[in-house]
Amino acid sequence: MTAQKLKPLFLTIIIILAVAGLVLYLASVFYGLFFILAAVIVFYLYKRMITDKATAREEMRAALKKLSIPGIGILAAIVIGAIIMLFTGYNPLQAYRALFYGGFVKNWHVSILNASPLIFTGLSVAFAFNAGLFNIGAEGQYYVGAMVATFLGIKLGLPPVLAIIIIFLVTGSVAAAYNYIPALLKVKTGAHEVITTMMFAHIARYLSSVFIRGMGGDPNTSAHAYVTDPILESNWLPRFKQFIPSANYRLHTGILIGIATALFVYYLLFYTKWGFEIRAVGQNKDAARAQGISVGKNIFRALLFAGFLAGLSGFNEVLGLNHKLFENLQANYGWNGISVALLASNHPIGVIFTSILWGALNAGGQYMARTEQIPNSIVEIIKGIILFLIVARYIYSYIGNRIKKRRKLKHPAETSGEAAT
Amino acid sequence: MSGFIELLNVDLLIATIRLSTPITLAAIGAVICERSGIVNIAMEGIMIIGAFSAAVSALATGSPWIGLLIGVIAGGAFSLIHAFATITLHLDHVVSGAVLNILAFGLARFLLVLIIGHPGTTDSIPVTLGTYQWAIPGLSKIPVLGPVLFNQTPIVYFSFILIFLLWFFLYKTKTGLHIRSAGEHPLALETIGVSVVKMRYLAVIISGLASGLAGAYLSIENSAAFTEGMTNGRGFIALAANISGGWNPVGAFLASLFFGFADALQVRMQVFKLLPVPAEVFIIFPYVATVIAVAGLVRRSRAPKEVGNDFMIEREDE
Repeated sequence: MTAQKLKPLFLTIIIILAVAGLVLYLASVFYGLFFILAAVIVFYLYKRMITDKATAREEMRAALKKLSIPGIGILAAIVIGAIIMLFTGYNPLQAYRALFYGGFVKNWHVSILNASPLIFTGLSVAFAFNAGLFNIGAEGQYYVGAMVATFLGIKLGLPPVLAIIIIFLVTGSVAAAYNYIPALLKVKTGAHEVITTMMFAHIARYLSSVFIRGMGGDPNTSAHAYVTDPILESNWLPRFKQFIPSANYRLHTGILIGIATALFVYYLLFYTKWGFEIRAVGQNKDAARAQGISVGKNIFRALLFAGFLAGLSGFNEVLGLNHKLFENLQANYGWNGISVALLASNHPIGVIFTSILWGALNAGGQYMARTEQIPNSIVEIIKGIILFLIVARYIYSYIGNRIKKRRKLKHPAETSGEAAT
Repeated sequence: MSGFIELLNVDLLIATIRLSTPITLAAIGAVICERSGIVNIAMEGIMIIGAFSAAVSALATGSPWIGLLIGVIAGGAFSLIHAFATITLHLDHVVSGAVLNILAFGLARFLLVLIIGHPGTTDSIPVTLGTYQWAIPGLSKIPVLGPVLFNQTPIVYFSFILIFLLWFFLYKTKTGLHIRSAGEHPLALETIGVSVVKMRYLAVIISGLASGLAGAYLSIENSAAFTEGMTNGRGFIALAANISGGWNPVGAFLASLFFGFADALQVRMQVFKLLPVPAEVFIIFPYVATVIAVAGLVRRSRAPKEVGNDFMIEREDE
């Protein structure tokens, strides 16, 4: 009984500890980790109080088991990466030391800066996947979002917070509207969204060049060749340095918006009717239709909201990091967003962590290339292998079956005896 | 108005053939693959691998023919991963394809740095297959059609032959029938004692070889080096050509010709500067055409019944 009464108190303590720890940790103040640890311990104690010991332990074990496949995948990729490096004449120990030191300690702020746009595109892809749709063109919606954010950032002179909220909403909405035609074609004609959104991504990519020239980019001058005018300073996202003086000056609060968005998407998907319908359509269209859920309507919702989310990565990059739009035809936020979504098994909370992992690998790779002269494209290989090993999780049971089969062939009597008992 | 007339000459048609060849090759591969029931969106990545290995081996040996061979084989080998992931590991086809595209980007970049020393592009290869342009005596003298169809480079000719060969293979041979059945009713195929797994592996590898050839065309015939991003969405356009062509090699070829024409037209419109608009407005033309073609034609054609679906039989011995 007392445990039930104490519930709000415990929850407040957990949330305060977790948020404080997270903000400090993200701002490269590493003792923030202790706060997060404390939050986990308090959470465990709380679990112990409301349930018995065995159940709490069981739940913890289940959570650990869930994390084991990604863990194995990452470890295996590290080993394979080391083998590749040995064969190509680089020292894997040196490489990994630089990679992890650069990605998780020295240039942690770069990792976070890399991660924040990926959270949005990753959420976008993950959200669409939950509806059984593949938003492969998240990159295009990023360009649209970036264009809108730049346009409004330059033109909109309002009080800071208000302006940022307006830009946030308009950016997302326009990017969502950009997915309207693919959604319409999917529903009306059955044209596959992989093709249509991909083509729309290419279209947006080229239109962004036109936009940049229209917004101050001038190919005839080398100073302003492929970049727009800067946005108003009042429209910049706040930076961590404003309240934590030791933080890197470039580090902006886009990551916090990303995490908040991920929590919102999680809530939307798993705790609302809206999300339930979308997941129902994603799991079995016919069953959903039989239950009176409109498949077409949910395809629209899912693709449009996916566009909204992907557009926000443009918002994040323009208002937070660059404060202008560069012509960058190989930004790759779309592809990396697919990677982080798949790694997280399309779970919105998982996307936060996989985005940070990806961001850290990129940042660490750059650091490694600078300090050890090892090409950072090795990181691309490691990323690809991690992705393959985690996505193809059936590979573990496949290998397991193979081994079992071989054993059976070797000792037929033994295994059949086991089966009999 | 006279400008527009000037656009439409034989050069435009020659460019159409040249620009449609990589799409055609990948698209007829996609036809075989999808008829067997496997969706292959990894073609973009396979083309990258094919283009890269063709260019690098042509650079190393000095012979574009060896480059061609290695490029095709590399494409086939890379597609094996897709076959293994989708058929043996029962992974979702689209997910596997996306992962392979990502892997191909990374692999090409890594090997580029490793072998050439810098990212971006390889050095130019000494002899391209484009220098082996051969006018078929007699036939190439036919007005319009002659220079367009019969004064071409090796892979272009080969793509014409391949369309016929694959059409014949798919519709007139027993193996072709089995491949089609694997996509329509795999269980029935398994019942008559033909392995669905083998048929699907075969189809994915054929598609990989064709996409590898398409990649090789880009890097050692149509240009003289491998450049990152040179595939530029052609793998996806090929997928669209397969769908708009009704999952049929000939239809896929015609659709590819249309996309090649859209591309050729935009290149010439850029050059002629007929309208006072940015060049990008023309560049996006093929992509828009693709969306329109897929949306307009997808209803009229019927997809293989089991395309994209996993096939798993629980055997007693497992």
